[in-house]
Amino acid sequence: MYGPPGVDVGDTADESVSTGDGSARLSGRAELVPRLLVPIVLVVVMAALAFLLSDNVLLTLQEVLALAVFATATNLLLGQAGLVSFGQAVFYGLGAYTVALGWLHWQLPFWATFVMAPVLGALVAVPIGLVALRARRLYFALSTLAFSELAYQLAESRYDFTKGANGVFGTFVPTSLTFPRTGYLFVLAVTVVSLLLLWKVNHSPFGLVLRAIRENRDRMQALGVNVYLHQLIAFVISGAFCALAGAMFVVFSQSSYPELLDWTTSGEPIFMAVIGGMGTFLGPAVGAFIYQFGHDELVRYVSDWQLVLGAVLLAIVMFWPEGLLGGLGRLGKILRKRGGNR
Amino acid sequence: MSDDILLSARGLRRTFGTFRAVDGVDLDVRRGSIHSVIGPNGAGKTTLFRLLTGILRPTAGTLHFGGEPIAGEPVHVIARRGLVQAFQATNIFPRLSVRESLRAALVSRHGRTRDLLSWSQPAMEQEASALLDTVGLTRLAEEEAQKLSHGDQRALEVALALAMRPRLLLLDEPTAGMSPFESRKMVQLVQRLAAEEHLTVILSEHDMETVFGISDRVSVMHQGRVIADGPAREVRANSDVMAIYLGSEA
Repeated sequence: MYGPPGVDVGDTADESVSTGDGSARLSGRAELVPRLLVPIVLVVVMAALAFLLSDNVLLTLQEVLALAVFATATNLLLGQAGLVSFGQAVFYGLGAYTVALGWLHWQLPFWATFVMAPVLGALVAVPIGLVALRARRLYFALSTLAFSELAYQLAESRYDFTKGANGVFGTFVPTSLTFPRTGYLFVLAVTVVSLLLLWKVNHSPFGLVLRAIRENRDRMQALGVNVYLHQLIAFVISGAFCALAGAMFVVFSQSSYPELLDWTTSGEPIFMAVIGGMGTFLGPAVGAFIYQFGHDELVRYVSDWQLVLGAVLLAIVMFWPEGLLGGLGRLGKILRKRGGNR
Repeated sequence: MSDDILLSARGLRRTFGTFRAVDGVDLDVRRGSIHSVIGPNGAGKTTLFRLLTGILRPTAGTLHFGGEPIAGEPVHVIARRGLVQAFQATNIFPRLSVRESLRAALVSRHGRTRDLLSWSQPAMEQEASALLDTVGLTRLAEEEAQKLSHGDQRALEVALALAMRPRLLLLDEPTAGMSPFESRKMVQLVQRLAAEEHLTVILSEHDMETVFGISDRVSVMHQGRVIADGPAREVRANSDVMAIYLGSEA
């Protein structure tokens, strides 16, 4: 279902290696090379940008990359498992606070807290998932929203521990990462590894089971799958990567504050997935680019940028519900079909 | 319980408020047989199927499958034991391709649903291809399930159940909504599976030609109870059953 940009729902990345006969497998391996070429070139170009772009743009790109991981991890639930969670900000904020509070209270080194963030995200996702996944559809979304509000209120009200509404600001990131170029390259490296891992999960037997559950939960249960357990695993994986994205946020912002935990922050990766295409693997990441750069441009000219965002989202939902990459993928398929018919 | 009996229900009951949808059903299903459960609408057939597969919990009674008690166990546990249903309403994965749908079922049977990092396995793919061949869907393998005809969707439904290598296959009205041609194909498929795979089948069906054409035994339900049970020939000859439930169709 998921694939590289331009591959829409219905195509699988390992389709060509999975037909079972030897020749198809060989051709699958041959196809793998051009498939790998595109992401490799993309990563090289992204890395080269570190030496071409201004510091301001590199800082924005760091934020975009953190949001890309946040959106892709959220889309594991949204696009893959069909679970609309308004609680992923809990993990995003938790990742940021892990780095900030580790430094503030225990003087923990950045590298230790950066590694701890996804582990804590996964651990916290277990009890939240256990409770929220008892509910379905709207009630699941509302449960996760409630957890988000709970986390936000906790962070805001416990001034002694979290510095309340002011948040935590400080020099908890190593000096080498505070330079826009090195910070960008570090965040890019973490993004590449994160997206590779999430891509692998999406294309694994587990990913297929999640999509089947999304399509027909009861049927999958009747085929011997413990739906609750598999959704919980997806929730935990998503929580871990959302927390990692939160820790990445700290690299360029050098701060952590309660708004990161708010449910409106949970809405952002959903917007990004809708814009880029939640039915494609890279759609949410592309959505993050469009959302963040679009936002930065919009605020220069329009004070009520949310109005424009709302209008854009409405237009996408009504006229291009598959999002940018999903729509392009379908367009490509139609053109290929027409070409084939000639 | 005899070794010959694969599924046994004793005093199985399910009530909804004061209404007894299934009321003290006794049922023995022999290994390798095709056992039909018939009765008019509202007789309790679908509720009985739901009790057997674990979708509903019985209010009272016992249920043994392969000698093990299964009453009250979750659906996925009963399915993993080998009691698998192909549903009455087409119950597929609309936006998955036919092949992906079968892969999902096979991944479940092979216990690889929590496998997060592996590539697909050629052996499993060969199994998927063989299943596609069995139900005649090879040419439609890459089509989205929602785009198939009704008959092909029912064939996929059966293939999904077969992917679990069931010991007992429950078929709830497998020919409902099918054209005569599709119905014949489905009946032939069920007969072939029972003969070649030694599969035990419980069948719920309204078409009496189908029922008496392929069944070894028939149980007749009425108002939640089994009112007649025996070899198909005997039940067919039962004048009370004929008069009340089968009418002129038989």
